[in-house]
Amino acid sequence: MKGFRRVLVCLSVVLFLLAVQSVWAGGEKEGAVTGNVIKIGYTAPFTGPAAELGTNGWRGVQLALEDINKTGVTVGGVTYKFDIVRYDSVCEPTQAVSNLRKMAMEDKVVAIIGDHCSSCCMGIAPLCDEFKIPGITIECAADGVTSPGHDFYFRMRPSMGLMAPLLTPKIMDLYNPKSIGFLCVNDDYGRSFAQGFKDNFAKLGIKTAIEIYFERGSTDHMAFLNQIRGAKPDIVFYVGTTPEGAMILKQAKELGVTPGIKFIGSEEMSEMELVELAGADAVEGTYSVALWGSVPADLEARVREQFNASMHYAILFGYDALTVIKMAIEKSQSLDPVVIRDAIKKTDYQGLQGHIKFEDFDNYKNQGRYEPAFILWSGGKRHAQ
Amino acid sequence: MGDLTVKPDLVTRKTPWKKLILPGIILLVLLLAPSFTSEYVIYVAVLAVIYAILAGSYDLTTGYAGPLTFCHGAFWGIGAYASALLTLKAGLPFWLAFPISGILVFIFAFIIGYPALKLKGHYFAVTTFFFGYFVYLVILNSAKLTGGPMGLRGIQAPEGFLGLNFASLTGSYYLILFFAVVFLGFLYFLVHSGFGRMLIAIRENEDLAEATGINTALLKVLAFSLGAGIAGLTGSLFAHFFRLLHPTTFAWMTSEMIVIMALVGGLGTLIGPIIGAFIVTFILEIMRFAPEFRFIIWSLALIIILLVEPAGLMGIVRKLQRRKR
Amino acid sequence: MLLQQIINGIIIGSSYALIALGLNLIWSITDIADFAQGGIYVLAAYVAYYIVTAAKLPFILAWIGAMVIGGGLAYLIERFLYRRWTGKSRIQLLCAIALFFLMANLAILWFTPKAKIFPSYISGALVISGFTVSYQRIAILLVSAALFVVVFLFIMKTKIGKAIRAASQDRLVAEVVGININTVNSTVFIIGGMLSATAAVLISPLYAVFPSMGDLPLLKSLVVVILGGFGSVAGVLVGGLSLGLAESLGSVYISSAYQHGFAFFVLILVLMFFPKGLFGRT
Repeated sequence: MKGFRRVLVCLSVVLFLLAVQSVWAGGEKEGAVTGNVIKIGYTAPFTGPAAELGTNGWRGVQLALEDINKTGVTVGGVTYKFDIVRYDSVCEPTQAVSNLRKMAMEDKVVAIIGDHCSSCCMGIAPLCDEFKIPGITIECAADGVTSPGHDFYFRMRPSMGLMAPLLTPKIMDLYNPKSIGFLCVNDDYGRSFAQGFKDNFAKLGIKTAIEIYFERGSTDHMAFLNQIRGAKPDIVFYVGTTPEGAMILKQAKELGVTPGIKFIGSEEMSEMELVELAGADAVEGTYSVALWGSVPADLEARVREQFNASMHYAILFGYDALTVIKMAIEKSQSLDPVVIRDAIKKTDYQGLQGHIKFEDFDNYKNQGRYEPAFILWSGGKRHAQ
Repeated sequence: MGDLTVKPDLVTRKTPWKKLILPGIILLVLLLAPSFTSEYVIYVAVLAVIYAILAGSYDLTTGYAGPLTFCHGAFWGIGAYASALLTLKAGLPFWLAFPISGILVFIFAFIIGYPALKLKGHYFAVTTFFFGYFVYLVILNSAKLTGGPMGLRGIQAPEGFLGLNFASLTGSYYLILFFAVVFLGFLYFLVHSGFGRMLIAIRENEDLAEATGINTALLKVLAFSLGAGIAGLTGSLFAHFFRLLHPTTFAWMTSEMIVIMALVGGLGTLIGPIIGAFIVTFILEIMRFAPEFRFIIWSLALIIILLVEPAGLMGIVRKLQRRKR
Repeated sequence: MLLQQIINGIIIGSSYALIALGLNLIWSITDIADFAQGGIYVLAAYVAYYIVTAAKLPFILAWIGAMVIGGGLAYLIERFLYRRWTGKSRIQLLCAIALFFLMANLAILWFTPKAKIFPSYISGALVISGFTVSYQRIAILLVSAALFVVVFLFIMKTKIGKAIRAASQDRLVAEVVGININTVNSTVFIIGGMLSATAAVLISPLYAVFPSMGDLPLLKSLVVVILGGFGSVAGVLVGGLSLGLAESLGSVYISSAYQHGFAFFVLILVLMFFPKGLFGRT
């Protein structure tokens, strides 16, 4: 028994060392850029319930990195390559702040991309000001991130409070609903989405018949859908991750809630993955808010080939964010974060997701406001409306 | 029940000054840290010190009194939110909200601990697990009060006095370090008093302790709620240091992390969990660049600790000392 | 609406009961709250998914494959980890939690966090006067019922089942009369792992396969085990169904956001009046 125990202990130590070694090796490979290097930080959730967003964002960043490093970036006659340091935030603010401090103090990055979760963005935005390093959030949607706002923190996409006024007239044209309903994930994103649309429809005198929030990671929505069937709203907004949305649509079909009640999804529900998960049958005839209309076919092919994945808005956001930083560095011809920040502020660029421009208006600061797209699912394909 | 805890050394009593060497060195390094490290390291050190208080107070409940709990992070969260709301909504200054939040958590833990601690073994452990999850849900869903998933912002730094400023990172660091010394000193005093010895008696043999006339139920609840109260005070410190509260910070993962820290160092020694908190925090920081591997290595490490020495680092140290003799 | 809600509750409840069945056996006989079953649930679902989609084999083979993996993993965990700490239940519990984290995070590493859809094995739905129940859900209900009978008969009628019962009542006496406790433990873990895998294979086509799919089922099944009381097959069934009903009705009439919190309420309520669970032995 004693001998067995010793063998086991040795084995586990070896296993542990192997794991540590493989991590080190992995770390070195990623940072294998040599020569003149510009460091950019990327904080995103790679584990935990929001891991998929970070994974997709990272894909976009990698693609942009590939394109940029083919030629390099010339600043003051010297050609630099980009290097990304990426850390996991697990979608938790204290982790995101640790990431940011490490990137700013230890890695000496000139700019930061991330985070994906609004709670994390709110944590790191004031620190970007403190350290005077420009940051571009990838996708967080809550209004509070840029309103009141920070000098060094930027957002490309329209926030939740901006999307609702832009889309409400469109939805009125399409359906002219008498009552609306919400089935949303219970986080900052789902709550601000519902609040935005609720307020805008209330202004038109349209009441909210039912409002349900479900826990992140829930799989069974039968109880909620049954309630919706009872409340009989004309349209239902459903918000969550793509898998959550796919399960909602599948179960709605199963229960016979669709196609009687029209479902309108948040931007996750405009991804091709929705059809892969729910099946073309269940998504037929539903609508969705979308942050991208169409993408170049060669990009879609690259994503398929390199990552064996379908297009996702986070990929586009990651690609755009790094590209915006690269253009700002080229334009300003400087590696000083403060100068780069001023160049980012002047961005005027047709990105993959839409026209990217950072403006100050109302209570917002450094906020983009391109018009979101609206798509109809039909025959398993997206149709921009 | 002594499987996870370091056995009390009853044969020899080390001279008191020798016992102070290790904590003294740690304290000295921490006091001087801001003069030779970057702000990032100081920030991590603040988190580590907060975790050290949490792990130390967890040791009172689990290491000394015995029952395994998985809800220490929840008490931390209740304290944080209580203090933040007292200052934001009721307009109290930090120096009032700070003790009140600790007392609130103590009373709360006492009320729920009294019936819950009657459950035996795994029943109790699993119930605390759910309790932690439930607290998370309540914080998440009381959106009107706590901001729910939107987070709670606008919390102010503790008011300064006598020219001291607690808004800066270094200021917060020394403030938290000061209270860490106070709390851990109090815990040290507690576990070496008659109260602590009675807890150890309960842990080692509850029936026997009961037979000798110790009110085991009351003592266990006291240990449970004192540990929780200190976690609540730590929560208040954290809220006014980080100034942004979000339910995910206090989700069940945090409670697990505290358990792991206490285990790495060795339960039932007080100094063990404190060292464990520093080791785990810094290892997780070092591994920040390998996101996908972090938790795999973390859980592997835990299993290996259990295989090699369930009583943690201090267990190994104690064994080496015995061998020397 | 009420009736439909009750039907949903019963079906959800039966899936909880199915997951909890293996856990209850393990917990009551070896005194280990085996969180690792949550990890086995995840890995078994992935194995079955790849057998069906990548290897293009029929569903029944996927089920068998998942059971082999599930039972095998549970056996290895018991043989090489838990057995070392017999009688030290706190270490076993911590080890189980660590294993659960390990397996869920290995799933992220190996299979990426992206959700995958398990093709349905039966399509269509039963519609009677406005109530809709898909055949897939009916299948879960029937298979759970059948498995409960099988497990019940196995424990009551077979020789090893009798040994398991004896060991669960008094380990010392069982050992004295010549029952090999190690064999009993191994058998219980293999059965437990196979049941977890079965639950994963049956339930995941309804939803999706993803790394954190085991979290909620694990929490719910732990509640079901405590509710039903140890060592009671009927208790698991009643516990599972009542939790399913409580969630289904509670999320409509109380609050949807607390859907997963009702488990805690029910648990506290029951433990207040029945400290040993509904059907637990004293």
